Amino acid sequence: MENVIETSELTKVYGSGREAVTAVDRVDLKIGTGTISGILGPNGAGKTTLIMMLTGLIIPSGGSANVFGYDIVKDSLQIRRKVGLLPEGFGFYSSLTAEQNLNYVAALNEILGAERDKRVGEALEVVALEEFKDRKVGAFSRGMTQRLGIAQALIKDPELLMLDEPTAGVDPEGSRKFKDLVSRLNSERGKTVLICTHLLHEVGPLCTHVAIMNRGRFIVQGRVDEIVRRMMDEEGYRIIVEVKGDPEAFAKELEGSPGMISLEVDERNISVRASSDIRADIVKAASMKDYEILSIRRLEPSLEDMFMKELSRRR
Amino acid sequence: MAGVFTVASREFSDMVRSKRFIILIIVFGLVMIIPMVTLYIQVIRMMPDMPGVPMPLGFLGMMGYMLSGTLSTFAPVMGLALGCDTISGEREKGTLKIVLAQPVFRDTVINGKFLAATSAVSLAVLITSLVTVGVSTMVMGVTPTAGEALRMALFLPFAVLFTMTYYGIAAFLSTIMKKTSQSVILGVTMWAVFSFVIPVIASLVALAIAPPRFTPGEPIDVESMRGYTTIVEAISSITPNYHFSKIGQHLLSPSAAAPTQEETPITSSLMHAGPNALVLVIVTALVFIASYIAFTRQEVR
Repeated sequence: MENVIETSELTKVYGSGREAVTAVDRVDLKIGTGTISGILGPNGAGKTTLIMMLTGLIIPSGGSANVFGYDIVKDSLQIRRKVGLLPEGFGFYSSLTAEQNLNYVAALNEILGAERDKRVGEALEVVALEEFKDRKVGAFSRGMTQRLGIAQALIKDPELLMLDEPTAGVDPEGSRKFKDLVSRLNSERGKTVLICTHLLHEVGPLCTHVAIMNRGRFIVQGRVDEIVRRMMDEEGYRIIVEVKGDPEAFAKELEGSPGMISLEVDERNISVRASSDIRADIVKAASMKDYEILSIRRLEPSLEDMFMKELSRRR
Repeated sequence: MAGVFTVASREFSDMVRSKRFIILIIVFGLVMIIPMVTLYIQVIRMMPDMPGVPMPLGFLGMMGYMLSGTLSTFAPVMGLALGCDTISGEREKGTLKIVLAQPVFRDTVINGKFLAATSAVSLAVLITSLVTVGVSTMVMGVTPTAGEALRMALFLPFAVLFTMTYYGIAAFLSTIMKKTSQSVILGVTMWAVFSFVIPVIASLVALAIAPPRFTPGEPIDVESMRGYTTIVEAISSITPNYHFSKIGQHLLSPSAAAPTQEETPITSSLMHAGPNALVLVIVTALVFIASYIAFTRQEVR
């Protein structure tokens, strides 16, 4: 897979001397074509600084990076021609309509005349705002503004979309629509998407690849499924069993089963931690001892789990 | 260059459709018309006692000092009002991020904004001047002669330049300040210092160093008055307001244009106004360059 973004030891230090703050600290990042990648981390982790450096809006203090082979310092204009950026805390001209705002963005990209009309129409259609095109943006809800933000990023028909905190402040419905939209843009239009967010649970599941960032550094990086597997190998598998009858009694039957690490029982469920996926063994044990299993599921660690684990490991 | 015009046309249309601009034009017009009408009424009242004085004295003869004086106070207000949120406003609204996310250089943005502001200020000055001339002609029957109209026309670009000096100062402040409110406060402070504080300080210093000799019942000592004026002018010349007033005096004052006196040729008036105009051009260019440097070096976070 070709990489659209490659960074090497990319660093940004704000201020100098005692006041110096390292926002991004020697970051190595590779983003492959056609992926949905997430840079996840808490506020102040350095995500926005990183994305702004990648689009040439912040000059790095050290290291190097290129986007589509263009150097982020020397060729930032070329990068911004090919990258649709949704910055954090963006806004539109509230006295202009949605269409007028997009026309302006198109004109800044030197897209004019019939081509502009076509692209603006398409972008509004993709984000489902065509019926609101003549409404002033000042009257838009946060979710609509966010979708219009994606529309402006799509005007130039970019190969790469960089979205910074795209669901911050958006209601659950707006957030769901956003996730659907990003999925479609990736699967149907082949857009590579890079999302920066602190809302790990919101956007994390969209991503095929993640890099978890804290204090300017990546603490975990890779394919989501590989990271999950690695974590489960290290931490063990969590299996939740719901049985009909007395869960305490069934838990006693399971004690000492091969692969079992620990057991916890509450009113209805048995929570099993095991070194491997022993669900088949549990079902077999239940049928032998005449217990009826109502449900059995394996819990995969969430991105928050990964983040918290890596954070505690580094403390 | 296309990007500059794109930014400028949006900025211009936003500016001239804003309530702020419309209010400024109305206030600008009133500020020019009210003193003119007041002066006219005073002249009419004096008429019976001054049978030898022609009436009207001449459009510029009446209005010259007043116009440049009024403008030297009000044009900065317009410049500051239009420029105080040039960059900080866009930063606060988040629109700057959307603009800079596009393939445009930052100088495109700032050039476009200055171009739009120059156009809007020119429009404002033109509208208010036409209204003033219209009122003077229709209501008071004071019609400018061709020479006066030409002088007025020549004066207007300097009024635009002077307004743009303050726009540039405001734009610079809005670039370096995080919030519009901060740039407004600083801009208004600078305006007050240039318009009121420095002239007062200049007078006080001149009074202390070279007070004009005045004996009751005798004419004032011209030499001592000249010394006093020289000091006042030397100190005041650090303000753009002084240079604009000088341009107004050269182009519009009664000695330059009154029909009862020997008229100074327009070319000569322009020559005299040249150094002051040059100072305004340099100051405007400097604040523009400062805004440009500050803006291009700023990081977008």
